[in-house]
Amino acid sequence: MKLLPSSSVRAPVKFKIPTKDNLVPIRLDIEIDGQRFKDAFTWNPADPDSEVVVFAKRTVKDLKLPPAFITQIAQTIQSQLTDFRSYEGQDMYAGEKIVPIKLDLRVNHTLIKDQFLWDMNNFESDPEEFARTFCRDMDIQDPEVGPAVAFAIREQLYEIAIQSVTSARESRLSKKGRRGFDYSPAIKSGGISLDLVKYFGHKSTVIRKRKDWDVFEPIVDILSSEEVGALEAREERSAR
Amino acid sequence: MASTTTASLDPLSRSSRPEGSELDDLYTIPIRSSWFSWGEIHETERVALREFFDLSSISRTPKIYKEYRDFIINKYREDPLRRLTFTEVRKSLVGDVSLLHKVFLFLEKWGLINFGAASPGAVVGEEEVKRKVDFEEAVPNGIRVVAVPNSGRPLSAPATSMSNNSARSQECSAIPPLASFSDVFRDAMKHRASACRSCSGMCNSGCYESTKEEGFIICANCFKDENFGESRSKDEFKSSDSQGVSVSSGSEWTEAETLLLLESVLSHRDDWELVAQNVETKSKLDCILKLIELPFGDSMVDSFYRTGKSKGRDGEVKKGEQLQAPEDESTETVKSDDQCVQTEITNNMQNGYSGDQEPPLKRKRVDSLQSCDSSLMKQAALISAMAGPDIAAAAAEAAVSAICNETSCPRELFDYKELFMGGAACALAIDIKPEISAVGDSSKNNELQAEDQDLPACKPIIPLQMRAATATTLGAAAAHAKLLADQEEREIEHLVATIIGAQMEKMQFKMKDVEDLEVIMEKEYEEIEQMKENITSERVDVLERAINGGISRWKDHPSLKY
Repeated sequence: MKLLPSSSVRAPVKFKIPTKDNLVPIRLDIEIDGQRFKDAFTWNPADPDSEVVVFAKRTVKDLKLPPAFITQIAQTIQSQLTDFRSYEGQDMYAGEKIVPIKLDLRVNHTLIKDQFLWDMNNFESDPEEFARTFCRDMDIQDPEVGPAVAFAIREQLYEIAIQSVTSARESRLSKKGRRGFDYSPAIKSGGISLDLVKYFGHKSTVIRKRKDWDVFEPIVDILSSEEVGALEAREERSAR
Repeated sequence: MASTTTASLDPLSRSSRPEGSELDDLYTIPIRSSWFSWGEIHETERVALREFFDLSSISRTPKIYKEYRDFIINKYREDPLRRLTFTEVRKSLVGDVSLLHKVFLFLEKWGLINFGAASPGAVVGEEEVKRKVDFEEAVPNGIRVVAVPNSGRPLSAPATSMSNNSARSQECSAIPPLASFSDVFRDAMKHRASACRSCSGMCNSGCYESTKEEGFIICANCFKDENFGESRSKDEFKSSDSQGVSVSSGSEWTEAETLLLLESVLSHRDDWELVAQNVETKSKLDCILKLIELPFGDSMVDSFYRTGKSKGRDGEVKKGEQLQAPEDESTETVKSDDQCVQTEITNNMQNGYSGDQEPPLKRKRVDSLQSCDSSLMKQAALISAMAGPDIAAAAAEAAVSAICNETSCPRELFDYKELFMGGAACALAIDIKPEISAVGDSSKNNELQAEDQDLPACKPIIPLQMRAATATTLGAAAAHAKLLADQEEREIEHLVATIIGAQMEKMQFKMKDVEDLEVIMEKEYEEIEQMKENITSERVDVLERAINGGISRWKDHPSLKY
C-alpha cells in the first residue's frame, strides 16, 4: 500500500496567523525618563483602532505610569498593527510545513526552556490551549506563565508567517508561474521546516530516538529572587 | 509485548498484576472502548481523527497514527496508576504538537489511557474555584410572620389533623415537610410574647408592665430577680398576662404533665377547675387546649359536651319558635335567644374541633341548612363559630381595628363587657365574647335601650357594628378555608411521595433488566471472540498449507491477500 502525498501542494492562502484565533502578538518596550515598561500581549486585529488609545490610557492608569507613556504605547501598538495589516492582503504560502518552535523565556520566577514542533498549516491550532496544557502538566502555579508561553509561540509563528509571505512573493517573481507552487520552495525558504519525507516517510518511525528525548523535553525552573535579579541585570546590560 | 485488555465498567476493578510477569497483563478499559485492538485501526478512530486518513499530507498517515497511538498507550501502561501527561509523550514523538494533542485527548476520552489514574489535582482545583453561593435559609430577620395583619393575635394552630393521621404521617415523614400553617404560625406565637426589656429574652411565663412608662415590659424572671433596669422600683410593675390566653400555651408540655392531665380528665370529666389543680403548672385553659391537641383528646371533649349538644338542640327549637315572634320582643326573649346562640356556638366550637378530622364541609352544610331560615346575623354567628374561637376572635379583632381605622371611632364602642350574657361559666366564653357581643348587639336594638346607656352614641353606629360582624364572619371563614387548604396540601404531599416511590421501583426493575441483558451480551461477545480465534487459527492453517504446498507468487495470491 503506497501513499502518495497527493495534496501536499497547497494553493496560497491569504495571510493570517495560522492559529484558531487570528491574534497579533504585540510587544512593548518603552523607556521614558528612566522608567521602563515592558509588556507582551496579543491583540485582535478585528478590534477597531480606537481601542488602541483606550487600551493605552487604561494601562497607564492601572500601572500608574506617567502620562507621557500613553502616546508612546498607542504609537507602538499602532505601528505593529499596521505592519501586520500590510501583510494581510498578500498571499502566504501554506503548504505542509512543520517548524520547530523554541521556548526560552523567563516569567517572574519561572524559567522555561522547551522545543517542539508546530504545523504552520494547521489553522486550527491553538497556542493558548497548548500553554494551558503545558502549565497544567508541569504544575506551574504562576498564572502569568501560560499567557507568556502562548505569546512566545504566536510571536514565532508570526515571524515564520512573514517569512513565508516574502518567500512566496520571491518565488512567484522568480518562477514566473512555470511550475506553480510545489514542494521545494517550502524547503528552500528559511530551511527551518522539517524534511517531511525524512521524518514521516515510509521507512522511518515517528518515534524519536531516546537520546533525543531530552532535547525536546521542557525544562521548567523556579528561580530564587537573587537569581532573578542577576538575570534581569544581565538582560538589561545586553539590551543596552 | 503481548497484553490483553479486559473491558469493564468499573475502573477500580482491576485484576492483580503479578510482579515480573510479562504475559497476561490485564488492563482495564471502559466497555465503550472495547472496539480497540492493537492490530487494527477502528472506524471510531478514522472518524475522530480524520486528518490521518484523508491522505492529505505525507506527515499524516494511518501508519503514523498507529505509531502515535501505540506509543502513547504503551507509555501509559508502563505505569497505569500514574496519570500520563501530554508533555511526557510529546517530547518523544515527532509531529505537530497540536495534532499530537488531539490524538492524546482522543485516547484519554475513550479511556484507553489514564482510565484508572488519579484525577489531576489541578483540574479539580479549577473546578472548585467557584464562588460560594450564600443560601438564605430562613425568613430574614427583619420580617416577622404574624397570623393576621394588624391583629397581633397569635393563632394556636390546630395540630390535631396532622397527628391524627398517624399512619399517613409515617410515610409523610420520609419527605422533608413543606412549611405548613403550624410551622409558620408557631413562630408568630413565639414572637408575640414580647421581649423583655431588661434581659431581652422572651416573656414566656408572664410579663410585668410598668405603670409609669408605657410599654416597658419585663419578664417574670427579671421581676423576680429584681432586674428592673435603671431607676425603677418594684411597685411600678404590675403583672399583665401576656396578651391573649393562648400564648401561655406556647410553653412545653412534658410527659409527666400530659400523663397527669389525662388521668385527671378521665377522673374529673369536665370539671376543668379540678383538672387544672391536678396539673399544677398549667392553667385551666392550657389544659383544655392541650387536651384538644392530643390525638384522642377532642373525642373526650366531644363526649363531655354531647349532653350539652342536646341542650343546644333544644335551644335551637326554641330559637325557631322565636323567629315567628316579632322582632321587638322583650329583652328576656332576646336574652335567651342569645343564650341559645351562645350555647350553640359553644357546642359548635367543640364539634368544630372534633370535626377537623372528618371533612368539615359536611358539618358546614348541615349547619347552613339549619340556618337558612334564621337571620343573617345568626348565620354569621354560626359560621364564625365553626371556625373556632381563636380564629373568630382574631377575625373580630381585625375587623374591629380595620373599621376603627377607617372611621376613627374609639374602640370602646366595641367593648361590651357589660352586655355579656352571663350564661354558663364557660372559660371559652371569654374568647367568643367580642364576637357574640358584636352579633348580639347588631341584631337587637332593644337590648341597647334596655341597658344602661354606657355608650350613648351606639345607636348611630349600628352599621359599623354590622360591618364589624360581617367582616368577622368573612375573616373567620377565610381562616377556616385556609385550614382546609392545608389539609389538602398534606394529602397531596403524601400522594406525591407514593407516586415517586412507585416510579423509583419501576426504574429499579428496569435497571435490573438492563443489567441482565448486559450479562447476556457479554457472554455472547465472548463466544464471538472465541469463534474469531477459531477462524484466525484456521486461516493460519490454510496459509501454512499453502506455503508448504509451494504456491508461486504467493504475494499476489487472492486467498492470501489481506
